[in-house]
Amino acid sequence: MTCDNRKKQLPPALIGAVILGFFFIAAIFAPNLAPHNPHQIVGAPFSPPGAGHLLGTNDIGQDIFSGLIYGSRLSLSLAVLTAALSTAVGALLGLIAGFLGKSIESVIMRCADFILVLPFLPLAILLAAMWGQGFFQIVLIISLINWPATARIVRAQVLKIKAKGYILNLQAIGAGTGYLLRKHILSEILPLLIYRAMLSASYAVLTEASLSFLGLGNPLLNSWGSILFYAQARNAILTSAWLWWILPPGLCIALLSAGFLFIGLYMETYANPRIMRVQ
Amino acid sequence: MRTNPRRSLKAVQYLLLIWFVVLVNFLLPRILPGSPLMYLAGEDVGQLSPVERKELLSRYNLDQTLPVQFAEYLADLVTLQWGRSYSQNAPIITLIRNRLPWTIVLALMSIAFSAAIGAFLGIRAAINRGKWPDIYLLLTVSFLGSLPAFWLGMLLIAVFGVRLNWLPLFGAYTAGSGFTGLQKMLDIAMHMVLPLLTLTILSVGRYFMTMRYSLIEVLGEDYIILAKAKGLPDRIIRYKYIMRNALLPFFTVLMMDLGFVLSGATVVETVFAYPGLGRLMFEAVAARDYLLLQYSFFVSALLVILFNYLADRLYLYLDPRLGEET
Repeated sequence: MTCDNRKKQLPPALIGAVILGFFFIAAIFAPNLAPHNPHQIVGAPFSPPGAGHLLGTNDIGQDIFSGLIYGSRLSLSLAVLTAALSTAVGALLGLIAGFLGKSIESVIMRCADFILVLPFLPLAILLAAMWGQGFFQIVLIISLINWPATARIVRAQVLKIKAKGYILNLQAIGAGTGYLLRKHILSEILPLLIYRAMLSASYAVLTEASLSFLGLGNPLLNSWGSILFYAQARNAILTSAWLWWILPPGLCIALLSAGFLFIGLYMETYANPRIMRVQ
Repeated sequence: MRTNPRRSLKAVQYLLLIWFVVLVNFLLPRILPGSPLMYLAGEDVGQLSPVERKELLSRYNLDQTLPVQFAEYLADLVTLQWGRSYSQNAPIITLIRNRLPWTIVLALMSIAFSAAIGAFLGIRAAINRGKWPDIYLLLTVSFLGSLPAFWLGMLLIAVFGVRLNWLPLFGAYTAGSGFTGLQKMLDIAMHMVLPLLTLTILSVGRYFMTMRYSLIEVLGEDYIILAKAKGLPDRIIRYKYIMRNALLPFFTVLMMDLGFVLSGATVVETVFAYPGLGRLMFEAVAARDYLLLQYSFFVSALLVILFNYLADRLYLYLDPRLGEET
């Protein structure tokens, strides 16, 4: 029965993979796919969709469709970097806490608890407003908010694995911590790490969009969130422009974020035995 | 009554959290790049005369040594003298006090609605677990959870506000309408529909997932199988055995959800120009009013910690097993 449940989670994971593949292609081949340079003024301001402009133009006459294609570069690279960084840091600290225990464990876990209890978007806003709003600052800020959840899960898992008979046996015959980590623990927590990385990527896409929408992104980077920031500032909501200026960028954000999430949910069936046991 | 060691340990942990927040609130402006004057007076700082600069520094004790600054900071914090917002030209505490009720009402109502809907759907999904309707419900709900909050709000405004003209576009009430009594209540309620709907749609997923997982987990426990084997009536098993135990994790999520809701409220209030704490943060960001931003964050952090603490306390009453562990 457990495999059955996993099988049913597979189609959405495949949909997620297709979505990610679609955006990866858009990002890599952006110069070939985009009809215009997204930074250049190529038409009359506020043109509706029509000849030459699939999704019309914005308030200063830039092509919105080209902006969306180039925006996938920013969102994808940000998501991948943030997921890698926050998962690596979370895994490392979780392993340290789980393995070494004692005071270092309580220091790490107190820090994690502290960050987890704070409302994450207000925290991101505060840090972005104070630290600056470059691409790498945003990566650092979102990673800072995302590592504690990973560290917590990894620590719990390490504690569980450590108590297993075969690990104790190996330790008894003199296996070192490094050996155990490499040969046994890492392979056991790998699905968990992929699951957390996918979730972090999904959060990163959404958080970046929110920050950019609040005017805390880099306005020169043309992210999907900043397209919506300008659409809001120019009251696109009140005209029919919402159909081509507001709807498409938001859909891109939602699809990319959901793509990561669906793959993550599938990985969770490997990572979390609790979900499976019930069947 | 004997004091519960676990309970007092919890209280100490929460006090520690609050102490962290207070400390961060003091340190942040001092470890960040840039002149403290810009922090207090924004980008107009170049236009200040030397005398004005000096006066500003001494008003915020920035001409003192660090320990003195910290002592003064603590005293001001406790007496609610949090300084002035230069962009809104008002004491920060007054601004926050005016905005807070709107956010709290919005947040609590959205928690109530999304918890009710999420629980209902979660129970349905758990009963049909592993079958196709369950998987579809799971996917739909997780997709809704990955919508950008502000975008969902914009779409709802475009459709229900502009296109259909059913509901007001922004604000919490009609300014200068002179409405009183019932009419005023109705006006406020109408303004709340769309922001509330946005937040509720975004939150339903978390309750749905929690309810589904915890129900599925309880359904697999040995004591449920035993209860069935004993031939207990379904009604007793369902309410006394299953629901009672599945509700505990659900309740924790419910109480600890305020952090999520406050995050959502920040962008949703911004889109709807709803005069809450989240919108205040946005205004502070837009005006680069760091002091106002910092204290808005401070208050929302305190609020979340307080809620978490209450959740923990209530949890001990709901699940007496926890109190026995020492």
